[in-house]
Amino acid sequence: MHFFFVYIDPGSGSYILQMIIAAVLGVSFFFKNFWLAIKAFFLGKKTKKENDKDTVE
Amino acid sequence: MQSHPASYRDTSGFVFKHNGQFYRYIHPNYQVYYTQLINSGLYDELVKNGKLIAHREITETAKFNFTEGRVLLPQQISFISYPYEWSFDMWKDAALLTLQIAMASLKKEMILKDATPFNVQFVNGKPLFIDTLSFENYVQGKSWVAYHQFTECFLAPLLLMHYCHPDTAKLFTVYPNGIPMDVLVSLLPKRSKWNINTLLHVHLQAKFSGKQKQKPAGENNFSKQKMGLLLKGLESFVQKLSPKKVKTTWDDYYTGTILGDDYLAAKTALVESFINDIAFKTVIDLGANDGHFSLLFGNDIAVIATDADHNSINDLYRKIKATGRANILPLINNLTTPSPAIGWNNTERESIAVRLKADLVLALALVHHLAIANNVPLGLIADWLQPMGEYLIIEFVPKSDEKVKLLLQNRKDIFDDYTFENFKFIFAQKYKLIKEEKVGNTNRVLFLMKRNA
Repeated sequence: MHFFFVYIDPGSGSYILQMIIAAVLGVSFFFKNFWLAIKAFFLGKKTKKENDKDTVE
Repeated sequence: MQSHPASYRDTSGFVFKHNGQFYRYIHPNYQVYYTQLINSGLYDELVKNGKLIAHREITETAKFNFTEGRVLLPQQISFISYPYEWSFDMWKDAALLTLQIAMASLKKEMILKDATPFNVQFVNGKPLFIDTLSFENYVQGKSWVAYHQFTECFLAPLLLMHYCHPDTAKLFTVYPNGIPMDVLVSLLPKRSKWNINTLLHVHLQAKFSGKQKQKPAGENNFSKQKMGLLLKGLESFVQKLSPKKVKTTWDDYYTGTILGDDYLAAKTALVESFINDIAFKTVIDLGANDGHFSLLFGNDIAVIATDADHNSINDLYRKIKATGRANILPLINNLTTPSPAIGWNNTERESIAVRLKADLVLALALVHHLAIANNVPLGLIADWLQPMGEYLIIEFVPKSDEKVKLLLQNRKDIFDDYTFENFKFIFAQKYKLIKEEKVGNTNRVLFLMKRNA
């Protein structure tokens, strides 16, 4: 059994694996960006307000 | 033209030596990719950013007896180090460089066809990619051909250093073509599965590896965007890794009780006065520890600072990066088990004994570790040091020294020959004594010697 594997490149199967990893990363980057957008939306507003205050004073 | 023993794998070309200089031959079958590398502007961009080795095309190739192909004269590298001599941060920087080059290539419709740390050298304090023939054209839909190699050659040693112990990267000496996934998985702690990146790149890959007996149809849907994600994902994963914290004997060596500031100041002054009297361009600092003495030399002197202790070398590398002292190359080298000659026919990677040569050798607070802790007779120490360099600054630490007493406290003193007189007698057979000074108010003595012609 073990000798059989000698003839198979250990890198084989890498295509499917890379597909899975890219898919997982794609989803995680999507949520990360989504989260950053939400954060920017709220924090962005906050900093704007602060800036407004500064200019008023 | 005889190719370099480490340059047999790739049919795209090979490295050869001619009149003391290294050249790179490009086979006609690689010509199209080489042209793409140049014409796409990728070569210029990577060289400008200090990531890829610069070269000059040699037009007069008749002297090399090639009937076809092209010859390059790359920037010459004075010292070749091997990955199993690097500390964690050096491995990490080499891995990040490889990924950054792969990403830059993708933008220019090219890919990196291999990802081995042997393609990286440390030049002027920074990693430099030295294989100009590692680039190929990007084929739409194909996954990254070097992914598996990257994980076994870069991720595996980094993860071992991260999860187990910084010294475990030495396993790469046994597996210079990559630490197999099943070996890696057997060593990593179970909790490593809780990291999504380790789970995907290692544990899942170990399950997949070698299982695909026949190529299924339709292996051409891997988009460029996916490859970009894969490379970016690997980069952010590597970026987050850090070496496992371990306490070693050599942490804070000089701040220890007996070897205090006075001793260090006296020794520093002596070394400075010794080096003022001699002319040299290159230095080897054996047992460099935190690099205190390596840092004494000016930026025009190339210093190789070696130590067996990972943390010392990693701290020194960080210091060099932060201060821009690019003339120093820190390397892990255990003098009692130095890097051997490995690879095909034992000629692919040279032993460190062959590579380590300089004008001046520093062996400070070292002899007692070799002679007492490791039983090496003084005669063998002199035999070993003599071919390494013309000048030698060496410190003799006598038995009356507290550190030697510490080495002897749990063992029988079988070292009758370890005396000041015998040390001088043995070294006088190979060296001419130039200077001899006591270090501060200790019993330690510092010598400056010149090798007999």
